[in-house]
Amino acid sequence: MTATAHRDAQTLAPAHPDVTPHSPAQLVRLVAGREVGTRIRDKGFLAGSAFLILLIVGMLVFQVLINSGEDTTRLGVVGGDTTVSDALRSQGEALGTEVEVVEFDDEGAARTAVEDGDVEGALLSPSGVQPELLVESDGGQVETLVQGAVQGLSLSQQLADADVTLQEPPEVEVVALDPDADADFEAIIVALMGVAVLYGLLLLFGQFVAQGVVEEKSSRVVELLLATMRPWQLLAGKIIGLGVLALGQMLVIAVIGVAGALAFDLVALPGDLIGTVLTVLAWFVLGYAFYASLFAAAASLVSRQEDLGSVITPATLLPVVGIVIAIQAAQDPTGTLAVITSYVPGISPMVMPLRQAAGAAAWWEVALAVVLMLVAIAAIVRIGGRVYAGALLRTGGRVKLREALASEK
Amino acid sequence: MLEFDGLVKAYGDNQVLKGVSFSVAPGQMFGFCGSNGAGKTTTMRIAMGLARADAGEVRWSGRPVDEAVRRRIGYMPEERGLYPKMKVGEQLTYFARLHGMDAAPAARAAEAWAERLGLGERQGDKVEKLSLGNQQRVQLAAALVSEPEVLILDEPFSGLDPVGVDSLAEALLEQARRGVPVVFSSHQLDLVERLCDAVGILARGSIVASGTVPELRSTTAGRQLRVVAPDAPAGWAGAVPGVRVVSEQRGDTVLELAPGTDDQQVLAAALATGRVTHFAWREPTLVELFRDAVTTPEEVAA
Repeated sequence: MTATAHRDAQTLAPAHPDVTPHSPAQLVRLVAGREVGTRIRDKGFLAGSAFLILLIVGMLVFQVLINSGEDTTRLGVVGGDTTVSDALRSQGEALGTEVEVVEFDDEGAARTAVEDGDVEGALLSPSGVQPELLVESDGGQVETLVQGAVQGLSLSQQLADADVTLQEPPEVEVVALDPDADADFEAIIVALMGVAVLYGLLLLFGQFVAQGVVEEKSSRVVELLLATMRPWQLLAGKIIGLGVLALGQMLVIAVIGVAGALAFDLVALPGDLIGTVLTVLAWFVLGYAFYASLFAAAASLVSRQEDLGSVITPATLLPVVGIVIAIQAAQDPTGTLAVITSYVPGISPMVMPLRQAAGAAAWWEVALAVVLMLVAIAAIVRIGGRVYAGALLRTGGRVKLREALASEK
Repeated sequence: MLEFDGLVKAYGDNQVLKGVSFSVAPGQMFGFCGSNGAGKTTTMRIAMGLARADAGEVRWSGRPVDEAVRRRIGYMPEERGLYPKMKVGEQLTYFARLHGMDAAPAARAAEAWAERLGLGERQGDKVEKLSLGNQQRVQLAAALVSEPEVLILDEPFSGLDPVGVDSLAEALLEQARRGVPVVFSSHQLDLVERLCDAVGILARGSIVASGTVPELRSTTAGRQLRVVAPDAPAGWAGAVPGVRVVSEQRGDTVLELAPGTDDQQVLAAALATGRVTHFAWREPTLVELFRDAVTTPEEVAA
């Protein structure tokens, strides 16, 4: 070698005083920090999050409105007494509506009240020979109610006139075969809504991970990054950073949903609600780890955003299958399909929460599903990590899976 | 000393590098030349850990280059790479931090380098909004921002206008004066000749010539002598022992002399034909040296 220094190499460049070597954890944190930092200022992301929160709030308000519009029936009575009012009320109870009786002095006042919609109907001379019901256009439920009450009144009146005394009719004893059925149903609805959000966010953030991987490949910035860190550190940072955001968003939705449901008194058993929400959150973490790694490995095979669809679509099919089964499982949580698929990694995050909410899964079944999922995640991180590392520096066309696995660098 | 020692790399049947060795001293500016596809980029990527050598290694200060060392190397890849949607200042800060700086010093260094490379006004702009020349400056700033101990730059001058070339050259010379070994590849040989203390020419998978430009001139096989003897008959020089005629055109001859051949004997032969109007050694330019080194089938010992 004859390459000689012309310039006097007096000193070695001194190491910069501000520079300290990074540990792998610090590098992962730096990458994760960048992901959070850029995403959280992204207008599209912010708008999407705001939309999602509005949607949840809107659903709550809708629920509240539906529930509050519930059944009281205002009825006007002219010339009635307490017996009439009592009869109307107990008839209303039988029909599932609360009856509010308003007394009017004469027919004219009652007529005006019906026309104004102040009362839903007005009963004239209830104890007379020809009782009359004034309604605006159509009797409907009011007619049935009033008819029943008047018949009851007339019947007891006639019996009393005939001096018949009736024995107290026997009270029917009610035996509930499944006293939790209503609560289970409520929990399943909550779980299904949770799984729907889980599904949406899994796909959304899986897509973010995939786009991020391709962005780094297509802009070639990955070469600069890999000169300072290993592929797994870059991958871990990206997945963790976006995962923190995804979990944050999931938590915000959960908190708003639960708080709203409790504040507006929409659920019967708040304890079950919170338990179900926590279950969904835990499954979300597992599902995210699974799909984020899968999407990242798939995305690393292509170098252009346009080609992303071709490699991502197969990976997207699994959660789609999962949500379809979940909807089916909500109706039949003990069915064979639900039971089997609740163990399948990738689908279990969407099906198992429903079985758990329905009280149809024993603890060991849940544990088994979690273990299978963890094993699958470990395998995907391992194989996917190799694909990612092997394909990351190959730009140009689409890298074949086998090539990516074969090349270490 | 930054040493590239016996690098061998094959992609399938394609033997790209067949034992590439050269070394760069601290403070030295090393121009890395070679035809397209000769393996310059592969050599640099091996140094940066982006490709794995089948054999051989790269050492810095006697120590094999590993991840820790690589964080002290400023690198500019052949394919420029920056986050298109990230702001200039944030991007530089991020790269400084990846190279081991803490948050506050990284931000200061990013600002200082942006200022120094004429990007002061553009720090808040996204990279994709900049002109190509300015993106190139950001790329350079990303390589320099962590005050690296070694610089490895793949085609840093490509795509720059003359003013850009000058300011980049000035920045690199300044780094070399700081004691940093600078390796850069380039096809602009005049630039290499002007800037570099040493040159390495890569052809057919190995270094076919390396050293300072004067050294390369002296080690080129045979030296060329131009003789203009207007009255000389064609083939007048062919008879002189150790002389090969490179070109001959109406008395204007370029001759190559084997080592140990006496040039005075050539002059005597020329004078024997009549008038001699020009007799001088030709200094080959780097371009000629390059062409020569790249096309000669046998390797020139370096």
